[in-house]
This record gives sequence, C-alpha cells and structure tokens, in this order.
Amino acid sequence: MNYAGRHSVEINAERCIGCVHCMIACPTKAIRIREGKARIIDELCIDCGECLRFCPEDAVESKTTSVSDLKAVPYKVVIPSTVLYGQFENATLPNEILFALRRIGFDYVYEISTICELNNSALEMYLNAHPVPRPLISSTCPVVIRLIQRRFPSLCGHIIPIEPPRENAAKILRANLPRIAKVPASSIKIFHITPCPAKMVSINHPASMEKSYLDGAISIRDIFKTIYQTLRQNREETIMSHLFPETIFSGTGVGTALSGGETRGLKSHRTVAVSGVRDTIRALNQAELGLLKDVDLLECTVCPDGCIGGPLTVENRYLAKSRILRLVQMMGERTVVDSSDMNQLYNKDFLSFHFPIKPLESPPLDTDPAQAITKAKRRNELFLRLPRKDCGACGAPDCRTLADDIVRGQAILEDCPFVKKEET
Amino acid sequence: MTREAVFEQEFPVKGGDFSRAGNVSWEIRNLLKELGLSSSVVLRAAIATYEAEMNIIMYAWEGRLLLSVVPGRVHVVVEDSGPGIEDIELAMTEGYSTATPEMRELGFGAGMGLANIKKNSDAFSITSNVGSGTRLELTFLTNGHRT
Repeated sequence: MNYAGRHSVEINAERCIGCVHCMIACPTKAIRIREGKARIIDELCIDCGECLRFCPEDAVESKTTSVSDLKAVPYKVVIPSTVLYGQFENATLPNEILFALRRIGFDYVYEISTICELNNSALEMYLNAHPVPRPLISSTCPVVIRLIQRRFPSLCGHIIPIEPPRENAAKILRANLPRIAKVPASSIKIFHITPCPAKMVSINHPASMEKSYLDGAISIRDIFKTIYQTLRQNREETIMSHLFPETIFSGTGVGTALSGGETRGLKSHRTVAVSGVRDTIRALNQAELGLLKDVDLLECTVCPDGCIGGPLTVENRYLAKSRILRLVQMMGERTVVDSSDMNQLYNKDFLSFHFPIKPLESPPLDTDPAQAITKAKRRNELFLRLPRKDCGACGAPDCRTLADDIVRGQAILEDCPFVKKEET
Repeated sequence: MTREAVFEQEFPVKGGDFSRAGNVSWEIRNLLKELGLSSSVVLRAAIATYEAEMNIIMYAWEGRLLLSVVPGRVHVVVEDSGPGIEDIELAMTEGYSTATPEMRELGFGAGMGLANIKKNSDAFSITSNVGSGTRLELTFLTNGHRT
C-alpha cells in the first residue's frame, strides 16, 4: 500500500531549521533529519501530532481544511468537537459558541454532545451483546485505530465496530438536511472542528468505510480567533442566545472531550481509560498479551487527558478540562437520548462500520528470511560501535534507529559524528 | 550464506525487578516482527516469553532469555538461578500457583504461566533442580514468512 501523502501533518521546509525536537518526540520513530530538514517516513507515521506539539519553529503544519477554502461552499455545515466548549474564557457557554459559528457564516451548526451520548449507549449495547473478545476497544481516536493496524494487528478484532460520533452526526445530517433545510444534497458540505490533525486522515482515508460522511476538518487553532472576535463584537446578541436556547446539550456527551468520557457512565462493565501516546502503546501491548482479559472496555486516546489535550487546541488543557467538568456538572447526568430511538438505530446497524478494520503490516528488515536475520545481526554489531548518546546529530532519533537505517540502506555509519572523529 | 543465517541475542532478567517487567518480551516481539515473521507467530512468542520473563522476576534470583532465530524456527532458552520447581507436573497445572499475596495483588500469579508458555509454543521442555534453578526450552515454527 502506498502511504505517501496520506498523513495529516507536513513539514514546512522554509521554517524547519533541522533541529531534533520533533524527531526525538516521535513515538514511532517516523522522523529523520535529511539535508538539514525534518522528513516524515509515511509508513511509520500514525498521525499522533506529537511533532506538531514539540516543534519550536512552528514548522509542522496540520493539513486541515483552511477557513478560506470554505468561501466557495454553497451550504456550509459545521460539527464542532465538544473540546471547543472548553477553549474560551470561563463565562462563555456552548450556546454562545454555536451562535458565534452561525454569525461567522456557517449555514447550519450541529451540536454533537447528543450524538456522543448516543455513542456511549451504543458502546454499552455492543458490550452487552458481545461477551468476547476482551478487552473491547472504542473507535473514537483515529490514531489508536492506526496504531492497532500497524503495531497490534491481533487487536483489530477488538475494536468496537461503531463509527465515532463525528461520523454518525454527519451521517444523520446527510440523511436529513436536504429535507429540513431545503437544499440539494450536492451543495451541502460538512466540516468538523477538530482538536487534532488525525481526524483529517480518518476523513480522507477512512479505515472502516469507503467514504467519510465528513468533507473536512477545521483546526481549533485556525478558527479560534474568528470565534473569539465574533463573541466580543456581538456581546448583546450573544447574551440573547441564552434566552432562546435552541439546543439540548448532553452533559454525558460534553464529558467525552475528556479521557474516561466513554467509560464513566458504564455501570455494569469493568473499564479502563488510558490517555497519552506512550501509555496507550503500553496498554495495547498488555491487551495483546492477554493481560487485560478482565477489562470489558478499554478507552484509549493518544492525547494527554483525552481530546481536550489535542495538539490543535489553544487553551491550557487543565483550564479547558476544568471548564468541561463544570459544564458537565451544570448540564447534569440526565439522559437526552431516547432509548427506543437508540435501539432502532443500533439494530438497523445505522451506527456501524461498513467493513472491519484490517491490519497494516510494516515492512520487515528484508522479505527474505535469511537476509532479514543477517541484517538483524549486522544491526546489533553496528549498534555496539555507536556511542549510545542518542543525540540525533546523525539525523536519526537514536543510535539504535541509526543502526536500523544503515542495514536498511537509508544511512551510513559515517553519519554519526562520533564515529567519524574516532576514525580520522 | 543461507546456512549461516542465525540471529542470537541474550536478554538478562533480574529477579524481583517488577518495574522492568515486560521489557524483554516487548523487545523480542518487535525484533521478530522486523524479521518478517507472521503476526500470529510473533504474538505466540511474545506471550510465551512474557510469561517466562515474569516467572524469573517473580520467583528466581536472576536469569536470562537466549533467543536464536534461523529461517523457519525461533528457539528460546530460559535459564534462571532460583529455588527451582519441586513438582513440575503440579506446576504445569492451570491454576496452580505459589505466588505470594503481594504478587497476586499486582495481578500476577494466576497459575497460568507455565501452562500458557507450553500452549503458545510448538515444542516445550522443562528441567529444574530444586535449590539451583530452572531451564525451559521453547521452539516456535515460523513458516509462513511475510513478503
């Protein structure tokens, strides 16, 4: 399979100064510095966005939908992630943010928390109906899906085959908007407002359906300022929006912006919520070894504290988290999703994957078994000759990876500045 | 050339070192993957070596895993110096465990270790001397190389 250009981040070669920050931060060792610039190895990248977080030069760009591209769209629909509700100053309520989005020029603003709650109920129904395998893993974080496909292939069958809320929200809109808004289906474009670039990959290259129901994803970073200014310039109207609440919010649904948001409401199941890319890798390894068989639902989000810690957010994640928790408390634990509606959608497979998620194997050292063994041996010998300083000066994140690159024909021993010094 | 293709590596394991539990099997798993073995073989070897590694950490003073890979076959020797096993047949029974309450609290000692190792390997042998240590030999057949 060709992965080239399938990723959600790219290096801006003009801004990149070839320092080592992104390369060292990358959890899958998918970055090298070549000719003074960072390069992403497409086959290894899982779109976690750690590079974007750590780049001091702002040279890692997310390939999300740019706000200027929206102008040409005849009927613009937006589905903001609930993470957006935690990004503004304390007194700003979700209603005001939705109001601002309408004011900015979106023709239809869809509030997703109800669908998030619906998703939680669907997960529970799936857990009840499927006693094996364990643990089951939710599909919300697209990076977790890619991580499982690449590194934990045997867990593909553990992923609950229910599309995440953003996709199901868009699916519901596609089915109903032409009628409700009286616009032709072809002029409707649906965008998600996202805290992470990975959503863009799941839209452009979905793993469980032929075509995503979404047309793009706008970064919170990119649209934040416009929303902020709109809120400030239209204070009175904003306040009015409280008096005419148009939307029913789900406290449970808003809570899914945080790690544990999918597991908190489950009463009769044992659950574990893990966040952060390294801890997620550890948990998935334990699951694959069969050590988590007593866990019913494993919720993994690769951003710290859940989607609220996404690399495209603007607010300090602790503040954002505290605001979300406050909203959840305000909105209460009441259920807004009707259980018979829910049952119908679930039983019709309306919320389900179109096809199961399949493993993606990473390239071995060599396709010939004997050659692969010889290369692994040589790699160990080379590693012993390297200084083990893991400085990154050679262009690889650590000495072990340099040895690996050498046997794969991607680097030479002399790339290591310490080796050179010794030999001349 | 082909006949000489043997990959060997030694992985030392320290008894009682719970903080590093799982590191050896993780390394072995990644290595076998890079060698292009099918994911089912990689997974079986990862599970078996994890259990072996945990047995050393839980019961022995120190030990090591010796991995050798040739085309078609993965061989692992697990040696430890430790208390040894008095009744091997009993120890091999699923559910039998001599784990202390502390170990069980950590989630270990379900009495599946040796049985699980045997179940996941294609050939398995065990010898043990009470008071000096235990030695396991595991073989995994790896036909079905990925291309």
